[in-house]
Amino acid sequence: MTQQLPAPQSQRIVLPPHRQRARRPRSVRTREWIHRNLFPSTAGTALTIVSVTFIAALTVGIVWFVFFDANWRVITDNRWLLFAGSFPHDQEWRLWAAMGFVFALIGLSYGMWSSLGRKDHLFIVLTGIAVILFMGHGGAAFWSSLWFLLSIALLFLGYVIARTIGHDRARQRSLLTRVILLRFAFDDAFSLRGGFDKTVPIQTRARAVRVALFPTRTGANRIVGGLLILALPLVLVILLAGGGASMRELDGFVLNLLLAPVGIVGGLVIAIPLAIGRASKLHAIKWTCTAYIEIVRGAPLLGWLFVALFILDDIIGGDLIIRTMVVLAVFTAAYMAEYIRGALQTLPHGQYEAAQAVGLSRGQSLRLIIMPQALRISIPPIVGQAIAIWKDTTLVTVILPLRELKGNADSAIAQSEFIPDRIEAYIFVAVAFWIVAFIMSRISQRMERAQGIGER
Amino acid sequence: MSQQPAPQLPDPARTPLFYQRGFRSVLTQGIYVALTAIVLAYVIASLDLREFGFGFLSEPAGFKVGNQWLVDVDGVTNSRITMYLVGVWSTLRAVLVAILLATLVGVVVGVARLSSNWLVARMAMLFVEVFRNTPLLVQIVIWYAILLVGAPVIQNVLNVGDFLFLSNRGIAIPWPVPSDGLWGAPDWFVGIWVLALIAVGAVAMRVRAKRQEHERETGRILFANRWAMGVFAAGALISFLILGVPVSIDRPVIEGTSYAEGMLVQPEFAALVLGLTMYTGAFIAEIVRGSIQALPKGQTEAANAIGLTGYQRLTLVILPQALRQMIPSVTNQFLNVNKNSSLAYAVLFDDLFRVATIVQNKAGHALEMFFVIIITYMVISFAISAVMNVLNARVTAHRI
Repeated sequence: MTQQLPAPQSQRIVLPPHRQRARRPRSVRTREWIHRNLFPSTAGTALTIVSVTFIAALTVGIVWFVFFDANWRVITDNRWLLFAGSFPHDQEWRLWAAMGFVFALIGLSYGMWSSLGRKDHLFIVLTGIAVILFMGHGGAAFWSSLWFLLSIALLFLGYVIARTIGHDRARQRSLLTRVILLRFAFDDAFSLRGGFDKTVPIQTRARAVRVALFPTRTGANRIVGGLLILALPLVLVILLAGGGASMRELDGFVLNLLLAPVGIVGGLVIAIPLAIGRASKLHAIKWTCTAYIEIVRGAPLLGWLFVALFILDDIIGGDLIIRTMVVLAVFTAAYMAEYIRGALQTLPHGQYEAAQAVGLSRGQSLRLIIMPQALRISIPPIVGQAIAIWKDTTLVTVILPLRELKGNADSAIAQSEFIPDRIEAYIFVAVAFWIVAFIMSRISQRMERAQGIGER
Repeated sequence: MSQQPAPQLPDPARTPLFYQRGFRSVLTQGIYVALTAIVLAYVIASLDLREFGFGFLSEPAGFKVGNQWLVDVDGVTNSRITMYLVGVWSTLRAVLVAILLATLVGVVVGVARLSSNWLVARMAMLFVEVFRNTPLLVQIVIWYAILLVGAPVIQNVLNVGDFLFLSNRGIAIPWPVPSDGLWGAPDWFVGIWVLALIAVGAVAMRVRAKRQEHERETGRILFANRWAMGVFAAGALISFLILGVPVSIDRPVIEGTSYAEGMLVQPEFAALVLGLTMYTGAFIAEIVRGSIQALPKGQTEAANAIGLTGYQRLTLVILPQALRQMIPSVTNQFLNVNKNSSLAYAVLFDDLFRVATIVQNKAGHALEMFFVIIITYMVISFAISAVMNVLNARVTAHRI
């Protein structure tokens, strides 16, 4: 009864007028949708009833917990502890400066490579409001809210700038072209005869100036990409340099936000040569790269953090945070290298041969033909690994004397008045991680769709 | 078209040595090996290897290990390696249970994500999004907190029909134990019964294969699976009775403020297994969904066309084919379960990793302990991959 004939997809059948039916009213369509999706048969109805009961019970339970049972003061009283932990209070501006810089950069890259949908915008705006409410609650909240709003403003500024410069589709523009454009815009103004030519509209001049001075899309891509690579060192400089916090004073959510990008970017940087090495024909290189990948993937991350704590000290020394960053990058690299190698293998062999046929050297063909395609194919698993490493930054709390968000939640519930509130504290931590991971996975899905990955 | 002369390849003998492929390869690898050797030498030189050795593992442990099951060691007379092996046993238990449960959760949720029932599909999606995007560590500590703080104290224990008890001491479940049975059967009759079960299982498989073969030849429906199950059930029951009921189910009871009888699932173990199950289950669900969606739509349509019910369509047409694509990714998830089980540390479950860190705390020798840890994990991973490879070979034996 519920079996429907498959609708013809390729061509629309236009019925003769006497057989055409009016589009049924919305209420009928809604009723049909409900019938089809919720009550198709006896078993389907039973399933729906069970699900509704379950959802109702779950919702009541969650609402009861969130609004009546839970004591959220464990979070609100420990805001600073959870966010930045032992970061010195008098250096607070550094955190906000770093945040503003990062937000501006996010706005820029978002404007350049916008890849989110309307629903995701709504989600991000709601998250922003939640964060403002969280930060702006009691205490010295006024200033932190103000700083946060300023960062949001910087985000929009970055977005607007990227939109302004980013729509210039030209690949590149020579210096000579730019000079000629500038001359067109201002030549008459500086000429001895006649002076400023009022017949040339001001918009034309402005356009010429803009085209002459602004980077092309390719150039803008390069600038934003470079800024992204430089972002982490710059943030560290903002936080630490010239009497800022010491390395050990980085903790709380700030530490998660610092460790994850190091793992991701550092991992990718190591992973690319590793993947090429593993696919190499030279046995010595192939086998060492394989051994690296397999050994690193053989032990859990906790094992490698154990190495950072007890063994790496003798080899590279440095602060524990630096060693942890090294371990995170080395660990992530092995997984990412496997994904890139997988992508290298799926590339048709004709790509290599074609590169050789047009006379590219091996390095050139890797750089210009092979790697761009391989990296494009491996975007989804690489983002998956990035999300994994984002979640795994919590692991530094487990055996290292570092305190990231989960570690500081542990400290919060160690206070005598909050001992019964551990569920609340951990749920807050889970939600904080979930928001970032969810945004990352959404971006990944959009990228996949935009690039047509996985479609045939 | 006139015959063109074949292009002249350069004479290999006259190519300068530097540009010869063989020489290039030797040179590159030589430089590479030299650099690697220098790095390795630096690493080895900077490590303090004067006391390197594994002798410390056989010294008396001097610490206790919790969460024991079927073993009883107090750590006074036992060596460190014994305690470590107890930890390995705990890890194996947790990993095995978590793998089984995660597969179950994953398949159910993965199929539910593609359900035509809108509510069920949405609920499955919510499950996946929640459990996949939060850190496993935090999930485990939340489960632990729920089991410790959220569960009732033992005085007002949650009693599910005198069958299952839940309190902050853990979950008590019924468990089979050897019993005297009808005429005082000795305990080792259990072993005989297990052997009998294996034999009956083999017979049942044989019956199934025979009937399936017959089905293929004659086209008559011979209910191979039902017959096999019937044979197995009958054989199991008969041998059970002949051996004089050697096993009884031991139901848990509350004695004062503690559990007695039955089997106690400790909160640490339950939290770890729950965390691993839900987290991995969410990932497996995505794999299941992906492999089902990757099947050509014609498969579903064909199953509908020959009049299979929804359940038949799923179990006879869709899942067997999706399984071929699933197994490699699911194997990866199982290996992750193995590695992620080290997060037991966060709830103080004495798995191999935690015992190893305790040993390292007592005796030093971080490098040796690290070797022991990584080799143990690799061995377990290898065992999992070996089993899954056998399964994969069986599933892909028939070419489609």
